[in-house]
Amino acid sequence: MKQFEYYKPLSLKEAWELKKKIPGSLFIAGGTDVLVGIKNNEIHPPALISLRSIPGLNSIDTGEVTRIGALASISDIIQNPELREDFPVLVEAAKSLGSVQIRNVATIGGNLCNCSPCADMALPLLVMEAKVRLQTAKEKREIPIDEFFKGPGESCLASHEILTDILLEPPPKNTKAVFMKKGRVKMDLAVASVAVRLDMEGNKCLKACIAAGSVAPVPLRLSKVETVLEGATLTQKHTVKAQRLAEDNVIPITDIRSTEEYRRKMTGVLVKRAVERALEWSQA
Amino acid sequence: MEPGMKIEISFILNGSEVKVSVHSHHRLIDVLREQLGQTGTKEGCGEGECGACTVIIDGLAVNSCLYPALEVEGKSVTTIEGLQGPKNELSVIQQAFVEQGAIQCGFCTPGMIMSAKALLDSTSDPSEEDIRDALLGNLCRCTGYVQIVEAVKKAAAQLKGKQ
Repeated sequence: MKQFEYYKPLSLKEAWELKKKIPGSLFIAGGTDVLVGIKNNEIHPPALISLRSIPGLNSIDTGEVTRIGALASISDIIQNPELREDFPVLVEAAKSLGSVQIRNVATIGGNLCNCSPCADMALPLLVMEAKVRLQTAKEKREIPIDEFFKGPGESCLASHEILTDILLEPPPKNTKAVFMKKGRVKMDLAVASVAVRLDMEGNKCLKACIAAGSVAPVPLRLSKVETVLEGATLTQKHTVKAQRLAEDNVIPITDIRSTEEYRRKMTGVLVKRAVERALEWSQA
Repeated sequence: MEPGMKIEISFILNGSEVKVSVHSHHRLIDVLREQLGQTGTKEGCGEGECGACTVIIDGLAVNSCLYPALEVEGKSVTTIEGLQGPKNELSVIQQAFVEQGAIQCGFCTPGMIMSAKALLDSTSDPSEEDIRDALLGNLCRCTGYVQIVEAVKKAAAQLKGKQ
């Protein structure tokens, strides 16, 4: 392993001071992506600044607004009883991320900041219209999560900025949300993944949020597909149209894990199945 | 901190406190194998894919190849060496692996057993799906997984009987 310094600040203030002092240093959460990047000579930070020892950054508070600390591990999310009750779609996505060993260490904030187009945690947060809180020593801002991702490995974070919290408003009672992921085997990164949220009143869809992963430079909201469903009394005609529009509105690439054509088709299939399942749940 | 400087950490390893000086870029697996002589823990891929390096930290299975050594300060680590009894007898899980023939070359076995232990420490009556999920991050390139899953089932039944 290439040499680097490793710091464990006990406060955000200390973390920002270290970042300022050491040019090229990186903040690190669980490290399951960063350490692999170092091993594979993809990144060469002179120092890592671990955020793991900063009190409160890994806590989950479920009040009027749910706050998930960015350092909460994926396993913390799966095991949290309130999140299981209020945001099952987030828990489903968490269960699909990596192996037990990875989930015990990887964090929700790390998964977002790594900015992979296939980030599992991004999709449920996109459809639940979460906000993220970003902080520097001087300012704090909250932005909608769909403004966070800028490209593969790129976020809107300034170099000294830390993602500290994920904020979720309580969904309406008639909200049903589904996460689906297609990989070669269960532990794989997604070939295609989809989250669908429907706010229903009887058979009528009041609001639809649909997001797709691994099919664009960033995890993507599919607003054109949403428009087809919103305001409609949903029938098979709508789900088929949603499937076709989903295929037309993603911009996947061919790479080592899949082809552009297969990703496009699978996104359509997953959107159709997820809408059908959300409908089934809303009628149950 | 100067580059190359060593820092002393202390943690519980298999029930006993250890103190060891580590480089800041060292991973837990480096410290276990190179400094503490605990070579039961294997390094396969070094990227968190194969699970050969699995150890248990504070009750949770983790990849020791992706765990910075400095993060283990104050924590409790269990490796495969910590499973044997006071007279070097095999643990229930280890014995079940032997009896079910869940071993071929043996390289993945310590990681498999540590993942199985983390599961059985928290779940007394796991389903086959629970077992397969718990072992998803452990790759075996020799035997396939049937005997391994059967071994974990057998160990689960035996451990449940002991309660």
